[in-house]
Amino acid sequence: MTAALPAPFTRIARLVALVVLTMLLHAGAAWSHASLNASEPADGAVVAAAPRSYSLTFSEPVSPLALRLVRPDGSSAPLDRFAVRGNGVEIEVPADLGRGTHVLSWRVVSADGHPVGGAIVFSIGAASASAPVVGEEIDWTVRGWLWASKVALYIGFFFGIGGVFARCILMPGTDAGSRIVAWALALGAAASVVSLGFQGLDALGAPASRLADPTVWSTGLGTSYGGTVVAALVAFALAGCALAMTGLAAQATAGAALLLAGIALALSGHASAASPQWLMRPAVFLHGTAIAAWIGALAPLGLALRGSRQGAVQALRRFSRVIPVVVAVLVVAGIVLAVVQVERPAALLDTAYGQVLLVKLALLAGLFVLAAVNRWFLTAPAEAGDPAATRRLVRSVAVETLVVLLVSGAAAVWRFTPPPRALAAAAAAPAVMHVHAAEAMADLTVTPGRAGPVRVSAVIATGESGPLDAKEVTFVFSKPDAGIEPFRRKAERSGDGAWRADGVVLPLPGDWSVRVDVLISDFEMARLAGRIAIRP
Amino acid sequence: MLKKLILASAALGFASLPALAHVTLESNEAPVGSTYKAVFRIPHGCEGKPTNVVRVKLPQGYYAVKPMPKPGWTLEKVIGKYEKPYDNHGTEMTEGVTEVVWSGGNLPDDEYDEFVMRGSLGADLAAGGTLYFPVVQECPDGAAERWIEIPAAGQSAHDLEMPAPGLKLLEKTGGH
Repeated sequence: MTAALPAPFTRIARLVALVVLTMLLHAGAAWSHASLNASEPADGAVVAAAPRSYSLTFSEPVSPLALRLVRPDGSSAPLDRFAVRGNGVEIEVPADLGRGTHVLSWRVVSADGHPVGGAIVFSIGAASASAPVVGEEIDWTVRGWLWASKVALYIGFFFGIGGVFARCILMPGTDAGSRIVAWALALGAAASVVSLGFQGLDALGAPASRLADPTVWSTGLGTSYGGTVVAALVAFALAGCALAMTGLAAQATAGAALLLAGIALALSGHASAASPQWLMRPAVFLHGTAIAAWIGALAPLGLALRGSRQGAVQALRRFSRVIPVVVAVLVVAGIVLAVVQVERPAALLDTAYGQVLLVKLALLAGLFVLAAVNRWFLTAPAEAGDPAATRRLVRSVAVETLVVLLVSGAAAVWRFTPPPRALAAAAAAPAVMHVHAAEAMADLTVTPGRAGPVRVSAVIATGESGPLDAKEVTFVFSKPDAGIEPFRRKAERSGDGAWRADGVVLPLPGDWSVRVDVLISDFEMARLAGRIAIRP
Repeated sequence: MLKKLILASAALGFASLPALAHVTLESNEAPVGSTYKAVFRIPHGCEGKPTNVVRVKLPQGYYAVKPMPKPGWTLEKVIGKYEKPYDNHGTEMTEGVTEVVWSGGNLPDDEYDEFVMRGSLGADLAAGGTLYFPVVQECPDGAAERWIEIPAAGQSAHDLEMPAPGLKLLEKTGGH
């Protein structure tokens, strides 16, 4: 300092400079700022009951500028009832705090005039974990058509191709129900084409008015469902040929059509996509072909019995001998599919997928009761030529057919309900962030990438992707738009070389500011700042 | 009145900065080519814990440094090569103290102390520039405060959370 000016003048000049500096330049670095030494509740704490008061203890006396409480639902309210005592601030707490994670966000100014801020994250009872929300707008026209075409496709598979299989292989010699089978084939073929367009619309999120757009169709064909449609069309064509053929050629063609229908079903859909693939795809295939073999026989059999056609009784005899085996395959494959997809029994009730499965099971229970009555009470008298029993059997077969239609309708709803397995996987998916600076880079992973308790891990490397043996890594989180000041969590080095912080709670969804502080050597630190999107 | 004014002006639009009191140099400007006594002011410990170790890394251009011993602290001088030799009253110096460590002391969080060294500022340093002295405070249980951030181009020390104390270099004055 020059000593040319008289002391009082220097002092006044300094004071003026001080104020100007404070206003324009933020506070000067030459002053000491308050630092938070302790808090009650502690940062990161999980407390059993709502605290009656909060306290913040600083390294020196402070004046609070803004104190806010952010609740688990993201709403925030100022805490304006507080008292300053020595180095501490005692804050009165709102009375109605619920369970979940809260953030006490503070900003104070110390004697040097430098405001500083921070946040204390604490949970009452347990950390908030919001339920996964699928916030997607639903186009009911596209959905309706997609559902209807799916049901029609099932009718084509089960009544059409299954019917051809029944006529040619299961019960050769029956020619009843040809017209129904042929119509079902035509319906299935038409539905498979139409469904492709709506699959494309659904994949693009486009409205039904864009159905004529070629990109919609190419998109539909490009999804895994495209393979299903191609296989289905070939299967329907083969089945149509088999109807026109006789003898061994018809049998071979009908068999090929049924196998192809099973393959078509196994090529796409939630169940086929699940792991283990070696189990799930064959299970879908067996489930589908068994349904077709069973259901396809119903209409030809019922019509043959009603018309007292020649060979009807022999057909009934073969049906009742073969079908129990087919149904056993169907049930076993179905159980495998359900167990993998539902994962946990509670999901039967609390997910849409599980609820559809319950409806389907209820319908199936009715179907199996009817089938059992037919098998054990009506088949023998009908085979013996009892006309009353035959009439009741025909009626029962008609009702079974109706129930099968309802089951198909229920199964087609699954197109829109991700199974619990997939929901769980989606909820657990991490959020990631990559920050790259000259001195270091970090790949940050927040698992799960949802609001609530998370594990944060980061792989640290030099700016040129080389190995970096950091001394310390700290994660600093803040959410300015929700009024949450920065809070820091120290990372531990884990066995695989990544830096991890367990038990971090990110109380709100949305965009978070994250900074990774990497201590490269005693005197060198890299601060890598970025943003990460946290799902609800 | 002044305090109120400062409070009010500080409350007006201020970027977020975490709560940390800074380690600073008592006199933060000096002419190049002069002898400079660096006094490091340690305002507090590590989040309430006492300071046991103070380490200062010396910048290139600050040579022929002698730290001042402190009762109750063990003084350690880390000797290293200078990036370029300095002329010390006719003697060429190629190495000297590059880091100073005061350890084994106990400075409670609610007390204040200063750590001192004396040395020369190279005559060929660019006036108008700043020399930074990264400082690390070590406390019990592995706690530490690291005043090691150096502003990048276009950045001000005010933007930093843990700025290293800086010395502004002035034009060379006449005489010695």
